[in-house]
Amino acid sequence: MLPRIALFIPCFVDQLCPQVGVDMARVLRNIGCEICFPDDQTCCGQPAFNSGYWDDARAVARRFLRVFDKAECVVGPSGSCVTMVRKFYPDLLGSLEGDGLQTVGKAEPKLGAASAAAELGHVLSKFYEFSEFLTNVARVDDLGASFPHRVTFHDSCHALRELGIKQGPRRLLEKVKGLELVEMPHAEECCGFGGTFALKYGMISAAMGETKSENARSTGAEFVTSIDPSCLMHLEGVLRKKQSPVKTIHLATILASDSNSAGAQP
Amino acid sequence: MNPAAEFLRQSAEKSADLDHRKIIRWNIGHYDTAVAKGRTRYADWEAARERCAAIKHEAVDNMDRLLLEFEQKILARGGHVFWAENAQEARQYIRDLVVERGVKRIVKSKSMVTEEIHLNTALENLGCDVVETDLGEYIVQLRNEPPYHIVTPAMHLTRTQIADLFREKLDGVSSDDPNELVNAARCKLRAAFFAADMGISGANFLVADAGLVAISTNEGNARLSTALPKIHVVVTGIEKVIPRLRDLGVLWPVLASVGTGQPITTYSTLIGGPKTADEIDGPEEFHVVLLDNGRSELLADLEQRDALRCIRCGACLNACPVYKNIGGHTYKTTYQGPIGSVLTPHLRGHDFDHLSYASSLCGNCTSVCPVKIDLHHHLLQNRRNSVEADQRPWNERLAFRFWRWMMMSATRFSAFSKLGKTGLRVAKKLGIDPLTPWTTYRAAPAIPQKSFREIWKKGNGHV
Amino acid sequence: MSSSRERILGRLSSALQQKSAPLTHQPRQIFPPVGDLAERFASECKSNYTECVFTASSAETQRAICEILSSLGDGDVFVEDVPELRARVNSGRKLIWSSQQPAPESSIASITGVEALVAATGSLLVTSQCGGRGGTVVAPVHIAVANRSQLVPDIEAALELAEREGLPQKNSFVGIITGCSRTADIEKLLVIGAHGPKRLVVIIEG
Repeated sequence: MLPRIALFIPCFVDQLCPQVGVDMARVLRNIGCEICFPDDQTCCGQPAFNSGYWDDARAVARRFLRVFDKAECVVGPSGSCVTMVRKFYPDLLGSLEGDGLQTVGKAEPKLGAASAAAELGHVLSKFYEFSEFLTNVARVDDLGASFPHRVTFHDSCHALRELGIKQGPRRLLEKVKGLELVEMPHAEECCGFGGTFALKYGMISAAMGETKSENARSTGAEFVTSIDPSCLMHLEGVLRKKQSPVKTIHLATILASDSNSAGAQP
Repeated sequence: MNPAAEFLRQSAEKSADLDHRKIIRWNIGHYDTAVAKGRTRYADWEAARERCAAIKHEAVDNMDRLLLEFEQKILARGGHVFWAENAQEARQYIRDLVVERGVKRIVKSKSMVTEEIHLNTALENLGCDVVETDLGEYIVQLRNEPPYHIVTPAMHLTRTQIADLFREKLDGVSSDDPNELVNAARCKLRAAFFAADMGISGANFLVADAGLVAISTNEGNARLSTALPKIHVVVTGIEKVIPRLRDLGVLWPVLASVGTGQPITTYSTLIGGPKTADEIDGPEEFHVVLLDNGRSELLADLEQRDALRCIRCGACLNACPVYKNIGGHTYKTTYQGPIGSVLTPHLRGHDFDHLSYASSLCGNCTSVCPVKIDLHHHLLQNRRNSVEADQRPWNERLAFRFWRWMMMSATRFSAFSKLGKTGLRVAKKLGIDPLTPWTTYRAAPAIPQKSFREIWKKGNGHV
Repeated sequence: MSSSRERILGRLSSALQQKSAPLTHQPRQIFPPVGDLAERFASECKSNYTECVFTASSAETQRAICEILSSLGDGDVFVEDVPELRARVNSGRKLIWSSQQPAPESSIASITGVEALVAATGSLLVTSQCGGRGGTVVAPVHIAVANRSQLVPDIEAALELAEREGLPQKNSFVGIITGCSRTADIEKLLVIGAHGPKRLVVIIEG
């Protein structure tokens, strides 16, 4: 029995690459999930959190949890946003209650704080990244998708190192009809996006993006895919600037592709 | 120019330097291969990391007691221990020693702490001849540069550059064959070892239960620096102390494994004091300078205390994609790479907060650290500390205040996003590009007409 | 008036009033079993550029030493003055014994004993007894003479032996030597022979 899913559509996906959300919703519906979209959602708070503005991030994070309060299961097409919720909300919020909570740091947990943290942990455990929902909750590998192209996978940092996602997306891609999956050298190396880092230190970000693009190109792949639309937006920008033949595409779009669909659209 | 602005300029320059990118990738590629090979010697590498982390965790959490134990043992064997609160006190102690003993020629084996306190310049100002004996340090000394990397100081140079340098400064160099270059340095430095009045070294570890200073090198330069001159001075951070001699059974192999991919460093040396009465050689005087210089403050920061576990192996530098693009000199700090970015605001203040922002927070550093320091999360915490200490530019603070206000309402978020997109379309028509931080380096993204929420609403929940 | 020492210790103690959350670890086996000690030692020597020679008797050891010395040019040889080496070092050339002086800069080879041999890494455990601090590092060729019974499995075992025998208390210097001196500071290319010996020979008798 598949849970009822509330869609978590990150702020920049909503505005800059909505197709990723559309494709994810389609795939979830096709496997038999009932889906809804709490339209009161805005952002998980990551931009402020990453820049050190934890008070601002905290306010937005608490609101975010209220928006999804009634949801049974929440799925989002972004490793970095789901990481923010599952991995960083504990440090940021401490517990579900109270305001102005000081970051506890790595001290011995006090008794009350430990159980409040456990309660928060329980709430956060209902949030999933899209590919891990498919492989770990829905337990499906084959979405009946068709995408006859050579594709290489970029391991995005949060997904890999915070959520432990590595083989899941590859299993899903291997089941796609006609898709040839090739591994690029240094697939686990950061693409260089890093949120506001991409704007603050654009040259370093671009250099990292160039290295990643070069590694992708060296496989002869037509597409580089990932579970993180932010990485893909950055790589797309680098690839287009270098007039590379390689294109980017989100995993959700590949999995939503069938023999009728037109194919690539980031 | 302030450090942050200078860093921005230099990092941009270095990132665009394709020759630099190539050399560093080449060197780090070699390192990666060697480390992967060395990893096969372990039945359980994660168990090794956990054990090293546990040892250093215990050491940090008992630092006061262990340092006292170490000091007591050193004093009992005729050594001297000097506690220096800061760089100036450490330099003064060594300078006084040099003057009192009439020291003229000094050989040094590699010590990042002596870089931290700018010791060489202070001693040269006294008229001493100070020679770095680690080959990489010797090379950058000849070039009058700081070390590029905490383990491989000359990683940014090609053999041709080193050969040209040696041809200019040494005898016996006719090609750029590394064997010939090393031999030329060996001959020159051998004379220095035998003529020196004082040897200065760092310490990799301070062993509390046995009262020993542990020093590791591959070249043997620390062995000679601590065997031949009459005086041996160790300059070390207080955080180097470990509880037991037995702990080196795993710390030594792991240090070598992530430092260079070796099973253990060639010369793993333990020194407990000056020569005893019945020993035929060795220094007559032994001094250990224990440096605080901000480390006790970091100890008081419960959240980031684990950064004191650092064994200065260099693994995080080699793992860092930012380091690979900007190189070691750009940081303009003694300690570079992720550990440098974490430590420096604690040791030198908010002028170096920008290093914590110059990271994509990929976390590769944390995943390779042999003592499991939570490096990339500390960078996040440093950013928070910077905001809380009111160090951020006013326009950034204002931007996030606005961001928060906007994000607390879905209506506002949608409205301002729509406004922003319209603004971009208008700007495009007028030939203005307001997105230059993005578009200088990447093609501008295509801006979709409809947002997800608009598509969802239009489709009545069907997409 | 407090000193720097008191101020530093005061700050450390006060910082440590706040205890970190304990970091426990389950002890698991880090390294695979070492296997046959002599075989492992020999194979590690191959990897770390140490020459390893097995002999069955003191006469054989003496011959092996002679052979190595005769392959070197002219020059003094420094020897640790202990009965075992007095009995085994008997070449025609001039010998400088550690009882006379420390290893001179001009020596072309030095011959010492060891405290132990470490199988897992192909290392030697030495102290300032083994020809002084200089005896095991000054000369460009180092010949270490050991007995098979001196083999221990790994570094941890070597350190335990050092503790048991009180080596750090009796000696101001204790060291572990693994192969000959080297550097990879130039383009990460390995060059053998930096400041320490360029050639290390270990003779294992018994």
